[in-house]
Amino acid sequence: MAPSVFRSPVQLPPAEALELSKQAPAILRSSANTASTSAIGAIFSAPEKPEEWITYENLILSSLRTGDDKAANQCLARLVARFGENNERVMALRGLIKEAEAQNDGELEKILKEYDQILSENDTNIPIAKRRVALLRSMGRLSDAASTLVQLLDFSPTDAEAWSELSDLYLAQGLYPQAIYAEEEVLVLAPNAWNVHARLGELQYMAATASGADGGSYQKHLAEALKRFSRSIELCDDYLRGYYGLKLVTGTILKDSGKPAKLTDEGDFVLPDTKTIERLNELATAKLAEIVRHSTAQDRGWRGYSAAEVAAARELLSEDSSSGIVR
Amino acid sequence: MTFISKAITAVGGILLAHACYSAQEHSALQSFRATSGAALTSAPTTAVSLPLDIVLETIVSTFIILLGLVLVTRPLRPIQWREWAGKIEREGEEGFKDSNGEVNKDYIGNPFAIFESRPNFVDIRKQRKEFAQWVKKEGGQKAQ
Amino acid sequence: MAQVPVQTIHRDPQLFYWILFPITIVMVLTGILRHYATVLMASAPKKLDQKTMREQRGLVHGINVRGNFHTLSKRSFNARRDALITAYESGAYLKDPENQGQPPPNPLSDPGSMEGMMGMMKNQMAMIIPNTLIMSWINAFFSGYVIMKLPFPLTIKFKSMLQAGVATKDMDPRWMSSISWYFLCIFGLQSVFNFILGNDNAANQMAQQMGQMGPQTAQMFGPGVDPNKQFLAEAENLAVIDHYSVLDNVEDRLLKSIRV
Repeated sequence: MAPSVFRSPVQLPPAEALELSKQAPAILRSSANTASTSAIGAIFSAPEKPEEWITYENLILSSLRTGDDKAANQCLARLVARFGENNERVMALRGLIKEAEAQNDGELEKILKEYDQILSENDTNIPIAKRRVALLRSMGRLSDAASTLVQLLDFSPTDAEAWSELSDLYLAQGLYPQAIYAEEEVLVLAPNAWNVHARLGELQYMAATASGADGGSYQKHLAEALKRFSRSIELCDDYLRGYYGLKLVTGTILKDSGKPAKLTDEGDFVLPDTKTIERLNELATAKLAEIVRHSTAQDRGWRGYSAAEVAAARELLSEDSSSGIVR
Repeated sequence: MTFISKAITAVGGILLAHACYSAQEHSALQSFRATSGAALTSAPTTAVSLPLDIVLETIVSTFIILLGLVLVTRPLRPIQWREWAGKIEREGEEGFKDSNGEVNKDYIGNPFAIFESRPNFVDIRKQRKEFAQWVKKEGGQKAQ
Repeated sequence: MAQVPVQTIHRDPQLFYWILFPITIVMVLTGILRHYATVLMASAPKKLDQKTMREQRGLVHGINVRGNFHTLSKRSFNARRDALITAYESGAYLKDPENQGQPPPNPLSDPGSMEGMMGMMKNQMAMIIPNTLIMSWINAFFSGYVIMKLPFPLTIKFKSMLQAGVATKDMDPRWMSSISWYFLCIFGLQSVFNFILGNDNAANQMAQQMGQMGPQTAQMFGPGVDPNKQFLAEAENLAVIDHYSVLDNVEDRLLKSIRV
């Protein structure tokens, strides 16, 4: 089935992105260039649909990815005809196309200068500011990107997407506490996002298993990871990612339960007793097995999971059974 | 299933129409009696209510129609957050199709996935590179 | 038992074509005109400068933390709360910190808020001017006509509404005067406009008035509100939160609710 043109194509697997970008010429042909800027024309033309512009935006992203720069430029031309050169989102898309077409670092530096120029004229141009961060990151200047992003978040602390990017940036630099803090900010803005809960659980687990974590913070991170994954499952039935994480965390805790549990400060989460953890582990194992079984059999109503995630879950299960740790 | 429900609805419709027709006939008869009887007796004519069988027929036919309509309705959408979220994760697009097989227009998958895909921060050069590698790999596989 | 004889008034059928239709058509056309006038006159949303944005979003951030504190652990909530309260009380988020403690400027002297008021004035004008014109047009040409009879009986209360401009005491309230038809058009054309112009049109003034009476969320950052006071109030709100976390005992809830 062809992926929808209304959804952001950033995380699609390559095959689907290719399919999407192949639609571009057809879509460009089928909708004539009707965007009229004159007031009289606007009265007589058919009412415009917001979906059309989202389609163009997504087409730009996917055709750039597949290297179809011509289609991307055509889509951009349509958007420019409708919204003008100085629309912030259009400016960001133009920058995106330039980034994709750049051949060497010198050109990237030039684009960065252009972004700086735009931002010095209008310091609230958030799409361009975000592009600048992304470009810095793409050029490998992670700490610059993070500090720029922190500046952006200082005057716009309600931007969950930016907080999430900041968390990812810190994670790339190995700064777990900062990454966790930023991810918590996303959660403050979107309290019921089950994937953010799971993501935070993953961050806590990574922070716990990273070398250098001492006993107290190790326990604390694991306890919170366990609770975060539990919450993500509570928010979303049969959440594969949540169960996967839960199984991983409980398995880790059970494996080294020999370590003495340190008393933690008040205000931190404490691990539940071993019996609860065991039951959680059993629950996660059973649920994962169920999901993998249904999903492999392509049962009706179980086809939404991504194949890679199911494969990972199967691997985890088989690892578990082969090592023979059955508690 | 659709045939049964349509048949039930049709039967209910016929019954309801019959009840309406009976009621109309009944009231016509009543008014005729009233005008002819008013000349003979000076007593005010009391309004005669509908006979019980017509009333019953109306009510029963309404319920039959309702039954027929309820049978064709699609399963209700989940209203609990966890069920709705679970449906998105478990069934994907399939769970949000209407009767024509088209995915519901409002369906956007996990609305919070944007916090992980972050389209405004996309690293387009990396994506291009990865895509080129994927194409090469695919091409290599096909050549074999 | 004598029945009240049905009032009959012999009307020229031409009244129907030369009054009822013109009024309706004019009303529909004015609605469409008003819609496009509003679209054309709408000024682009004013750009915020960075400091204003920081002030507003800083406050919203605090409100978010206050509303969703239960997703955080106690330690991270306390850290955020302390940081936010310190920042709010010291006025770190204020647009111009040196004005802290001074009374808010007069909204009339602030050019920024004047613009907003001008926008409101423009909308009001777009409603009032056509209404006055049409009203006087109908009064001048069509006053005193009885143009139609409603197909259902009405009580005497409706007389003043339906027979405006026709002062006849004993007339059945079912008869309708031209000016009443005009009023009916004002109230009843919304669905017609929805059909012609789409759902979010600006043609119907009733809808606009309803919108103005609606929730006053826009007033949060409106002119004449002292942001410093808002920040102090928000700091107080944050300070009194009794923290609990949704993660407390989440594993027990999970084990209870999910059976394999």
